[in-house]
Amino acid sequence: MSVAVDDDLWSAIGDPTRRRMLDLLLAGGAGTATTLSEQLPITRQAVAKHLGVLDRVGLVHGTPAGRERRYEVDEAQLARAVAQLSSVGATWDARLQRIKRIAETIQRQRDA
Amino acid sequence: MEFGTIEREIHVEATPEVVFEVITKPEHLREWWPDDATLEAVPGGAGELIWGEGGTQHPMVVPITVVDAVPGKLFSFRWVAPEGEVPGPANSLLVTFELVPQGAGTVVRLTESGFRERGWEAAVLEAAYNEHVTGWDLFVPRLGVYIARLVSTP
Repeated sequence: MSVAVDDDLWSAIGDPTRRRMLDLLLAGGAGTATTLSEQLPITRQAVAKHLGVLDRVGLVHGTPAGRERRYEVDEAQLARAVAQLSSVGATWDARLQRIKRIAETIQRQRDA
Repeated sequence: MEFGTIEREIHVEATPEVVFEVITKPEHLREWWPDDATLEAVPGGAGELIWGEGGTQHPMVVPITVVDAVPGKLFSFRWVAPEGEVPGPANSLLVTFELVPQGAGTVVRLTESGFRERGWEAAVLEAAYNEHVTGWDLFVPRLGVYIARLVSTP
């Protein structure tokens, strides 16, 4: 796995505005910088900038639509990002299992 | 989707005092997390988590700052600050262990927060590092040895 690519992906999804945009795109099926800016407290220019970040890491794909681009979420790439976020939780699951086993072993020693 | 905080809960058949020792004492910490650790479990105490020592890779040394330490009840610390900075509220992840007695055992409540403030890069790097260095193939034999040693101690 390429850590550099993954870093970009995580930075892209780490921003709350961009996550909100992904939610809106998922809910609406697709959107342009104009339609998204109508649903967000930021300018069309700012939305376009965020869409550029999401596009670069492959989380959305744009197709020309008149003078704008119409963006859709790439669900495979989104699933990949979500899986990575979950793996951070999984590392804590593994650590907690180890804590449990070590503490229970010590407790059994003391009770014996 | 909410990615700001990790929350976990686990029941342990050991008293909160024993669990507190396991999560705060370097000799136990290094059996469930880093390869080595230095830590003073007092509020404001500084410590280090160390990976890869003695191996072929350069050791990774991660400073931590203890926020709260109440024996048998609570342990929290901050980590993964940017290189060269002391972990504080604006630049790091906060890990909190809450210990609640339940029967003869303990419920351990873990939260890790601050991803939003810190960004995700640190977390993904850590996850990648753990995958490569402290994966299950490394850990399982080590834990087996550790438990065998504990059990054989008179």
